[in-house]
Amino acid sequence: METQPTQAAPAVHAGGPAVLEVNHLGIRFDTHQGSVRAVRDVSFKLAAGETLGIVGESGSGKSVTSLGIMGLIPQPPGVIESGEVLFDEQDLLKLKPRQMRKIRGGQVSMIFQDPMTSLNPLLTVGRQLTEVLAIHEGLRGRKARARCAAGLGEVGLPNPEARLDSYPHELSGGMRQRVMIAMGLICNPKVLIADEPTTALDVTIQAQILELMQKLQREHGTAILLITHDLGVVAGMSDRIQVMYAGRVVEKAPVVELFGEPLHPYTRGLLTSVPTLTGSPDERLTAIDGQPPDLADLPPGCSFAERCAFVRDNCRVSSPPLDAIRGEGEATRFSACFEVDRLDAHGAARDLSFLPAAQTPAGHVPTLNTERDIQPSEDDA
Amino acid sequence: MLPFLFRRLRWFAITLFCVVTISFFLMRQVPGGPFDSERSLAPEIEANIKAKYNLDWPQWKQYLQYVGPINLDDDGLFGDRSGKPLGGILTGDLGPSFKYRDYTVRGVLSESLPISIALGSVAMFFALTLGLSAGVFSALRRGSGFDLIARVGATIGIALPNFVIAGFLIIVFSFQLEALPVAGWGSANKLVLPALALGAPFAAYIARLTRTGMLEVLSQDHIRTARAKGLPEWLVLTRHAIKGGILPVVSYLGPATAGILTGSLVIEKLFAIPGTGMHFIESALNRDYTMAMGVTILYTVLVYSLNTMVDLAYTLLDPRIKLEEA
Amino acid sequence: MLGLGRRASSHFAKDEAKLAALLSDAKRFKGESLWQDAWRRLKRNRGAFLSLLFLIFFMGLSLIAPVLPVPSPMALDLVAEPQPPNWPWEANPRLAENLDPARKAKRFGLYSTEAKGAFADNGWQHRSFIDLVRPMAPGETEDTLQPAAEVSAFVQEISGRKPIVYVKPGEEPGTVLERHAVVYQSSDRSRIRYVKGEQQIPVRLTQMLTSAGTTAIYAEWLLPGEPPLTEAVEELGYTNEGVVGVTLPEDPTELTGTVENDRLHLASRLDGKLERRFSIALKGADTFTLEGARVAWGDEWPTDDEAWRNLLEPPAEPESAMDVESGTEPGDEPEDPTAAEPEEPTLEEFLALARLWTGEGGSLQLVKNGKRSVAFSERTATAQEFLPEPGLGLRAKAEEALEAGGLVATLASVDHIEGTWDLNWFDRQLVKGRAALFGSWQTGPLLGTDGKGRDLLSRIVWGSRISIQASLIATLFSLIIGVTYGAFSGLMGGRIDNLMMRIVDVLYAVPFIFVVIFLLTMLSEMGVDRMKVFYVVIGAIYWLTMARVVRGQVLSLKNQEFVESAKVLGASTSRILFVHLVPNVLSIVIVYMTLTIPQIMLFEAFLSFLGLGVEAPQVSWGLLATDGTEAISAIKVFWWVVLFPALAMGATLLSLSILGDGLRDALDPKLRGKD
Repeated sequence: METQPTQAAPAVHAGGPAVLEVNHLGIRFDTHQGSVRAVRDVSFKLAAGETLGIVGESGSGKSVTSLGIMGLIPQPPGVIESGEVLFDEQDLLKLKPRQMRKIRGGQVSMIFQDPMTSLNPLLTVGRQLTEVLAIHEGLRGRKARARCAAGLGEVGLPNPEARLDSYPHELSGGMRQRVMIAMGLICNPKVLIADEPTTALDVTIQAQILELMQKLQREHGTAILLITHDLGVVAGMSDRIQVMYAGRVVEKAPVVELFGEPLHPYTRGLLTSVPTLTGSPDERLTAIDGQPPDLADLPPGCSFAERCAFVRDNCRVSSPPLDAIRGEGEATRFSACFEVDRLDAHGAARDLSFLPAAQTPAGHVPTLNTERDIQPSEDDA
Repeated sequence: MLPFLFRRLRWFAITLFCVVTISFFLMRQVPGGPFDSERSLAPEIEANIKAKYNLDWPQWKQYLQYVGPINLDDDGLFGDRSGKPLGGILTGDLGPSFKYRDYTVRGVLSESLPISIALGSVAMFFALTLGLSAGVFSALRRGSGFDLIARVGATIGIALPNFVIAGFLIIVFSFQLEALPVAGWGSANKLVLPALALGAPFAAYIARLTRTGMLEVLSQDHIRTARAKGLPEWLVLTRHAIKGGILPVVSYLGPATAGILTGSLVIEKLFAIPGTGMHFIESALNRDYTMAMGVTILYTVLVYSLNTMVDLAYTLLDPRIKLEEA
Repeated sequence: MLGLGRRASSHFAKDEAKLAALLSDAKRFKGESLWQDAWRRLKRNRGAFLSLLFLIFFMGLSLIAPVLPVPSPMALDLVAEPQPPNWPWEANPRLAENLDPARKAKRFGLYSTEAKGAFADNGWQHRSFIDLVRPMAPGETEDTLQPAAEVSAFVQEISGRKPIVYVKPGEEPGTVLERHAVVYQSSDRSRIRYVKGEQQIPVRLTQMLTSAGTTAIYAEWLLPGEPPLTEAVEELGYTNEGVVGVTLPEDPTELTGTVENDRLHLASRLDGKLERRFSIALKGADTFTLEGARVAWGDEWPTDDEAWRNLLEPPAEPESAMDVESGTEPGDEPEDPTAAEPEEPTLEEFLALARLWTGEGGSLQLVKNGKRSVAFSERTATAQEFLPEPGLGLRAKAEEALEAGGLVATLASVDHIEGTWDLNWFDRQLVKGRAALFGSWQTGPLLGTDGKGRDLLSRIVWGSRISIQASLIATLFSLIIGVTYGAFSGLMGGRIDNLMMRIVDVLYAVPFIFVVIFLLTMLSEMGVDRMKVFYVVIGAIYWLTMARVVRGQVLSLKNQEFVESAKVLGASTSRILFVHLVPNVLSIVIVYMTLTIPQIMLFEAFLSFLGLGVEAPQVSWGLLATDGTEAISAIKVFWWVVLFPALAMGATLLSLSILGDGLRDALDPKLRGKD
């Protein structure tokens, strides 16, 4: 697989040096059906206070990337094939388990998708919160309890002291996700990886949670890696977006540019499959035909070739590198497509009215669920 | 918790009433009383014996006397209200044994029950330690050689009757290695083989339950969360995984205790241990009805109270279960 | 309007193509039924599939057991110790050409390999013995125990047989326990039972005091013939139990027994299990004649004498001086001699069978109408000539024998032995098949023999029949109760459901096995067949879980969306029930069934171990496993007696539980379409 060294993309808002840098990460799973190459050559940088959104449909490798960063890939069957994850000038992939544990949960923490199952149902919330402090800061007893109560208060849980003695099943989904966030932020991590933090929640709760994350990010200056398949969520939250398909990054751009002028056929497909507020109600949404390729048996060339409207013979032969586009100064846009120019010419300007001009709370954006829309479903019929 | 116990008690009373009543009257329907197989007795002697055990009374009266605590005598329902202290099973008096002439059922049971309980608890201890550790270990080393051996062993342990297992144990430990005595009671080394044989099927089942439970818990999201918090693996295991992993085992403890009590019938017979189970089999075969009923009642009480305790333990372990619903 | 319509239709055209594609995509999941899908997934699960194959193989084997060339599961070869496995490459000791010449000569003796009795021989139960407890002789050690020769001689004298002697240290230190045992075989049994015409055979009765303090009574008589045949001795039983009353004039004819209708009845109990009754006609005060002493197995004195006599006696002699007991009902039994012809095929089959299992010139026992047995045996040097040929009637052969040798060949009726193999039509066909396929050839003791010389392989295969049958019937029983109860409770819901489940809860708390044992002993005391009690009682225990499971499933299904959507789509109630509910419940029932069967087999073993299960001469795996534990001794480990039954049982139960797990996965709708 041909690779192109990724250029450092300066953070649009926060700027500053990268806290987390992932270079050429490759992860595969050895299963009975063969090697599944879940992540191929993924690189990005994340600066303090910045939010990077990773978008893609299920199986595109976004969650595996995040687990790879956290060192939570079960091995076997998982194998880290290549790459490095630089955090604080050390490669997390090379750390010993003991050192990695210090960082995990302390300086780099993670929020998972389903708050219903991600909390241990048999332990109280307080117990699950305090153990983070006990491990990373050696804080125990009453002090730890007070910190946790403060943390719960910060994420907006009413009556935090009492909540410490609750069991997860006594809390609602939104409250549980707040607990998860509190757990992720309690040690003031530099990087927070949020893996589909709002997918399992009601729409109104989603908005609250996203708002909360933004607020906390502003207060703590945490860098957030936001993983989602929900275009609305990334649109509202992220500074930059990275689109993944079949384990590869296919496009990378600041949020406004990406939505305004997608430069990869897949991104474009994603965006046209999303309904807009201003679109005609009669107009049918277009779905991307076909299925993602079998990761255990990848065809040569571009993984998207089979479903691409712009496909050329070349696409089926070699894999397009993730190249910088329109590099005035430092490049901010990257696309892995041979046909960028043709696409560019073809591309109709996209209605951007749904995008927040400034930092509109994402809740005001209609929920756009790519996972639902890009899968051919009976709704289309 | 108290309402829960009260409700349990109520159902327990109903259960016990059914067991006692049905078996009491069934027992009286059997042709041939407990004394029939003996040398033919003079009618006076027979009458005397029957009178001694109140067998000449009408059945309802015998039943009342058996259940107690009512003092009945030949003259009527409440007799002359003098003399003997009140008896009946409600006062814990299980009546005289029909076969062991000079013993009461309670006397025999109070001698043999400690033996059975000792055997049962050692067997249970063995089943739990072996089952849990094998189950946890094979879940952690899934697919390894140990896992394979443990799984095969567990399946075999479940598939064979415990007396066959006991037979193999005797062959190996008593005859080949000559390490342990074949049968008997009274010293610690005589307890080893029976307890092993008695506990083996349950150890096997517990191992299987633990393995499945652990695998399920380990695949759950909250374990990933615990790892993402930076917990060391042993803490993930002890604090987050084991508790959930052994929940199925806890709910199996009720049936397991009942099973161990039952299994001890066979094991006690095989190893010639003078426990309650042996008395039960003997009494059932010898038509010693009071004894057989006494054991049945005793075991009903035991199983019921142990089950209740297990349910309580379960609610303590799993906060999602509420006693009110149980 | 028009434009809009066209636009819509063009959309639909596009959609149709898409729909077709989608449907073809989905076909591999949705094109097959739940069962096809489950079957496909089961086949992929190697362990479960192999288990299924094994079970089918084993059940097939047990089904066709009569056709297998194995010895009778009950044929005794009385040797003191279990014999080790006879590997296929070793000479088969059961075949005539490999017989030890010494044994060959004693064709009908104790050591005969041929006169193993009939199909249903349970000869070991009429083993008589004298136990002698004596102090250890000076200089005698536990290793050099010598049995008392004079006792053996005595036993031989009175029985005409060489006794087998067992010697071992007694339970009291310093004592020796000797057992001098004589085994009677069916030929002996039949001998005393035969009375030809009005002939009366003088009988001498001997009393013998055994060490146990019981009195054994022997009947001794002389068979007339030219030259007179050996005297025969039959143990009549013990007198210490159940016999009240009459004292007879003088020794050695002094006896106790009951006198009724001018007949002396003796009853005894052997092995604590078997009731044996003898009846001797009292033809005077000073001499006894044995007349038609019968062995009755079971509780009843045989009443339908007419039937068997008709079968045996020529029609010219309608009534003899033989006893006519009460309750003869001629109308009941249609077998008058002229009607004996239809019996031919049945007799033929049994004759074929007898040859297979007894070799040439053995004895055979015939079970007729599930009630009667007719025994046939020869005891002369010319036995060969009187071999019953397959295809010839028994009676013809018997008459032939009678003419040739006077009373040499004897015919008698033996009451049906309880638990005797009672061949049904299907098994008879199999026996024919066996005769056609293998002739009289049979395997050696491939898996060894047990302590009574019975072939283990044969016992395992035959034992599987009862074990499998018992567990299947009991499972079915529990299934019927459980499914009905659970489904009813679940469908009713509300208060009724609550009450019904409470009852289940109550029953759950009862330590059932104790109640079961209690019931089993009491009901079999009342005379109910133990196996029937077993089925009912097992069904009564195991339906509880079934009811819970089914009820839960019904409850959850009742409220599920697919049922709602089926209703919305207009499906009828019966369609909802049979298309949507039944398959879902059925799958869970099937899974539960495969998991219940092993439990019941274990329970059967458990009961057999406690002596409450199947009774000899029937054989089940539980009994085999019990025999195995009994074969464990400090002196020698008869590993094959322990190992092979355990292997058979373990393998079957193992496969059942693997199959059950596999089925659970295969039928789990959540895993549908996945592998």
